[in-house]
Amino acid sequence: MTNAEHEIAVLLNNKLGEKILQTGTLQPGRAFVRVGANAQRDALEVLLEADENAGLSALTGVDLGKTIELMYHIRTRKIIVTIRTEVPKEDAKIKSVTDLIPGANFHEREVADLFGVKFEGHPNLKRLVLPDDWPKNLFPLRKDAEVVVPNRMENADVSSGDGQTSSDGKLINIILGPQHPALIEPEKFSLKVDGEIVREVEPRIGYVHRGIEKAAEKRTYLQDIYLVERICGICNACHAACFCQAVEAILGVSVPSRASYLRTLILELNRIHSHMLLLGHAGLEIGYETLFQYMWRDREAVMDIVEWLTGNRVIASFITIGGVRRDLQEETIPKIKMELANLKKKMGFYKHLFENDPTFKMRTKNVGVLSKQDALKLCVVGPVARGSDVKMDVRKDEPYAAYGEIPFNMVTYSEGGSWARLMVRLDEIIESINIINYVLENLPSGPYRVRVPRIVPAGEAISRVEAPRGELFYYVKSNGTAYPERVKVRTPTFANILSFVRIAEGGNIADVPASFVSLDPCFSCTDR
Amino acid sequence: MSLNPEFVFRVLVFPGFAFILLFTMFCDWVERKVEARMQNRMGPAYTGPAGVLQPLADFVKLLTKEDIVPFDTRNVVFRLAPILSFSIFVFAFLFLPVDGVNVILNSNFEGDLILILTLVSIANFFLFLSGWSSTNPYSAVGATRVLTQFLGYDIPLFILALAPAFLASNLSISAIASSQNVPFILLIPWAFALFIITLQAELEKDPFDVPHAETEIVGGYETEYTGRRLAFLKLAKDVQIVLGAAIAVELFLGGPYGPVFFSLPAFWYALWFVLKLVVVIVISEYLTCVFARLRIDQVLVANWKVLLPLSILSLAATVALSLYFNPLMR
Repeated sequence: MTNAEHEIAVLLNNKLGEKILQTGTLQPGRAFVRVGANAQRDALEVLLEADENAGLSALTGVDLGKTIELMYHIRTRKIIVTIRTEVPKEDAKIKSVTDLIPGANFHEREVADLFGVKFEGHPNLKRLVLPDDWPKNLFPLRKDAEVVVPNRMENADVSSGDGQTSSDGKLINIILGPQHPALIEPEKFSLKVDGEIVREVEPRIGYVHRGIEKAAEKRTYLQDIYLVERICGICNACHAACFCQAVEAILGVSVPSRASYLRTLILELNRIHSHMLLLGHAGLEIGYETLFQYMWRDREAVMDIVEWLTGNRVIASFITIGGVRRDLQEETIPKIKMELANLKKKMGFYKHLFENDPTFKMRTKNVGVLSKQDALKLCVVGPVARGSDVKMDVRKDEPYAAYGEIPFNMVTYSEGGSWARLMVRLDEIIESINIINYVLENLPSGPYRVRVPRIVPAGEAISRVEAPRGELFYYVKSNGTAYPERVKVRTPTFANILSFVRIAEGGNIADVPASFVSLDPCFSCTDR
Repeated sequence: MSLNPEFVFRVLVFPGFAFILLFTMFCDWVERKVEARMQNRMGPAYTGPAGVLQPLADFVKLLTKEDIVPFDTRNVVFRLAPILSFSIFVFAFLFLPVDGVNVILNSNFEGDLILILTLVSIANFFLFLSGWSSTNPYSAVGATRVLTQFLGYDIPLFILALAPAFLASNLSISAIASSQNVPFILLIPWAFALFIITLQAELEKDPFDVPHAETEIVGGYETEYTGRRLAFLKLAKDVQIVLGAAIAVELFLGGPYGPVFFSLPAFWYALWFVLKLVVVIVISEYLTCVFARLRIDQVLVANWKVLLPLSILSLAATVALSLYFNPLMR
């Protein structure tokens, strides 16, 4: 037990006393505490009081047969503390924690959808990821859920449609999505507007829900790597890395150091690629087509490097349990360095442009401002949090792969607006190029993978990776077979999407695309 | 006026309807090619030499597409608006001296500058009507944006057009063009710069293309249009761009007049006119490429707080300096 874990265990024991049933650790940096039903609120309160930067990373449900286990994963003092509690399956009810931590809103709705747990006191416990006409008593992630094609028309809930105006007739309902040119992927946002001002936003996700968490239970660990890579095409390596780290933690395997350097390489390439894609797309959203074309042209260099390294341009299929699947060829290193030097020069130009172009600044500065307090309350992650001056980066807080050995800076901006969030990404591209150069210069020799058994011993693990959009969270539970018992994925956009409600309300309709794009929403990730 | 063959040729072929139509498509190609090259793309490449026939191919393709009129539209206006707006833009073109004389010979009169600018406003109003009659929320928002924008920007445009008229002491556009021994751009460059910026707003190009902001309002006033009507709506927009550039050429760049190297001045005049117009189109396309789209409120602020005072100042400066310009005018 390291210091922080010990301190937190002592703290919880002192404050809660007999309510604590059990404390322990899964792995280093992964404390857990088991409490009785509804005592999770007390534990959460203690943790939030002790650390103002604490936030909810994820809420995992696991079907244990007679009961459903709920795990509140709290990130505090750079570690994850899991508050575990159980509710009976027959009468699955628990008090909501949304009043303590507003960011839990979507997490609870998701668990309610997929496990049928009723969160008492939740402000808006409607469907989130499943369709409105999904059968009322079919909860797909319960182990006893029958996988049948349900007769959906029978259960159709006709009351869920959107009206043209609000009940009092004063606000007009503008529906953004599921098909809209500002959204590349389908989700729906109902904006209640008063003239040009947005008064209320109601997001509805789930339009690309593919049930990947359920599908992962039916596949072997090896197959699951390729499955989770397909959650998101853009940050696919992050998903693979995060899943493999969790499985390696259960197996007790440590990755050779050359492999962790190569993982760092592909993860940073992923980040550059994703950030450039977003910055170009931001240009398109504010009608700056030239910026879009330039960014996407320059991004091609990164795709080429990924191809030299992994053999694929987009879905890398590079990271595997125990290391990586291919070695980096010595002769490609100078080519990569040359391309990156080029890219770095161009990034200098873009930075000048972002800081000086009057029309660009007019459209993004002071637009969609998210204060630091709101960012913490809503538990946002990644560049959205760092744009609001929240110092949070998994690469620094809890170094994985080779990040512990590589010097780099965490980029934060204090304005909290669209411009700050875009600038965070621009600066991170430059940091990433430096990281890659360091990796290429200090690449250790040795094997690039170790062989691991196909059957994973019973156990559980939590893994975190700083994906381009923020903290990516995986919880993997093994039951001692070749198939996982439960794979929980909490993607960064799922944590960030609530902040859109916060920044859009009270703003101008014309600002909605500009502030929305600065969150870098990825709906395939969100829905899984 | 008897219907002599020369008159028919001038109206229908050169420099009338056929010329305007083909030249518009050529300018559309120039625009697309210039924009593409500035953004490091290829632009049209396959239809005809260097893709020069692409706008024509697009137009013909749209003509063959299914024509859908939504159930709820105000039928007559919805059907007529595109074609009316197109014809008014072409009609306005007939008053411009393209090859040294007007398209319809001797149709120029004192005050046709005002007539042309008015026709542009009316045609713009038909673009607004086309969106307004669609009864689609996106079209309605796009249409109101067109209206807000062109109402605002018409005022500075008129004031800026008065400066050359003042220097030439004439309100006839052909007289203004022919009086430019020294092109007015050299005498009053500030007025030309302001005129081009205002023109960007009139033509709904970046940074003022809010009526087309597809990430906010999908297709703007065009949203419900398909097939033939969309083809004419797009053509009307393209003619408008050419007409706007042509007015800039006539007012500031000396119109079609330039050195004549051998006989047949009409040929040289038409050539100079085309070349100068392409230069204006390239400038306007450059501005489109280097700016992001403003928000509608920022567009209005730019109009009332910046462009309007500046255009009045520019007119005042022109009047004050006109004494010094007089020797150059002869």
